[in-house]
Amino acid sequence: MDSLDNARESDRESDMDRAIARRLAKLRTLPVDTTRLDRLLSAQLPDRAAKRGWPRIGLQPVRALAASVAILAVVGAILLSSSGGPVLASATQMAQVHEDMVAGRAPAMQVDSIAGANKALAAQWPQSPEIPNVPQDHVMACCMKSVRNKKMACVLLKSEGVPVTMTVANAADMQLPAVPTVSHNGIDYRVQSVAKLNMVMAERNGRWVCLIGELPAERLMDLAAKLQF
Amino acid sequence: MDPQEATKRFYDLIWPQRAAVLRIAQILARNIHEADDLAQETMIKAFKAVDRFQPGTDAKKWLMTILRNARIDRLRILAATARDISLDQLPLEPAEASAPEGGEAVDVLENPQDVLNRFADQDIIDALQCLSEEVRWTLLLVDVEELTHDEVATILDVPVGTIKSRTHRGRAMLRRALLPMAKDRRLIRE
Repeated sequence: MDSLDNARESDRESDMDRAIARRLAKLRTLPVDTTRLDRLLSAQLPDRAAKRGWPRIGLQPVRALAASVAILAVVGAILLSSSGGPVLASATQMAQVHEDMVAGRAPAMQVDSIAGANKALAAQWPQSPEIPNVPQDHVMACCMKSVRNKKMACVLLKSEGVPVTMTVANAADMQLPAVPTVSHNGIDYRVQSVAKLNMVMAERNGRWVCLIGELPAERLMDLAAKLQF
Repeated sequence: MDPQEATKRFYDLIWPQRAAVLRIAQILARNIHEADDLAQETMIKAFKAVDRFQPGTDAKKWLMTILRNARIDRLRILAATARDISLDQLPLEPAEASAPEGGEAVDVLENPQDVLNRFADQDIIDALQCLSEEVRWTLLLVDVEELTHDEVATILDVPVGTIKSRTHRGRAMLRRALLPMAKDRRLIRE
């Protein structure tokens, strides 16, 4: 019996150690603010642009170029403000979207595939951004939400048995939050958390994509990497 | 190497890893300013040595080696300033903490992952900071950064077997540190 008890104890310790390893791995997505570090480094390192071997050109063309850029920026800003410009969906808003979807509080359409979700959404909102395909994950429902008149297509999935909401909008309509960036498989994600919910946001193929769920941010980024546009 | 080319290489390949460097520095250091200074020193050293970095190899692994050396330099200076002792005299691997009285309550855990996920990141970092420098480094590289045992052995310049035993020991130490906290906070059912 002693050896059996020892084996059980050892198994429990192994389970706990694996859990500790997974909990430590979550620290990898710990948001860090590099503002102060960037400031310290910029005082000591050569300027990035100046050292990229830009061709030497006369001062007058530079001034002309700067003036053109400034005019374009002003025109762009006017156009942007008249069209409403990109909007920022806060982490709290996105968490609410997910919770409403999971709790069935959002008026959603039951679907069983991304193709079905795209079809259902396009039937009601012809301008709906196309939702990228997610291989091997069970699709449950979809709906349309808006943030300051910018439309977001939402779809509720089940990934690794955990509900995950994917929201998709046109990249031009949405602003990425000013939070630290996490690079994963060559894609830059903005990672945020609200209570137990993690969310990862990125711009890909002209679309703004946000995945929200109780999965570690790393898993959400794995899922995002599988999206087929 | 041409200075312009070196600068371009630094900004293209090394600069994007600064957040990872800062994150590890924050877990190693006791306060945010110390972490910023350590990360800054690491990035400056990386810039000066960028001509020795081989494009196509792992920039993060390369930076971790620099960070590790910068940290050792700092600890040496601190030790010399404080008590004029060498790093060799510092208790880098102290004896393991003793188990709480009455043994561990592992058998009452229904879902260890769920319990651990209820701890704030700062709780986990605080527990890590109670570990010895070498064990902490090992867990940071193996579990947080998910580098292979071979890669960590190269960075820390010790045999792979040492990394495996430190990993096992470090996780056990964390388990022993976190379980009483979980009990105090009633995160686990007796």
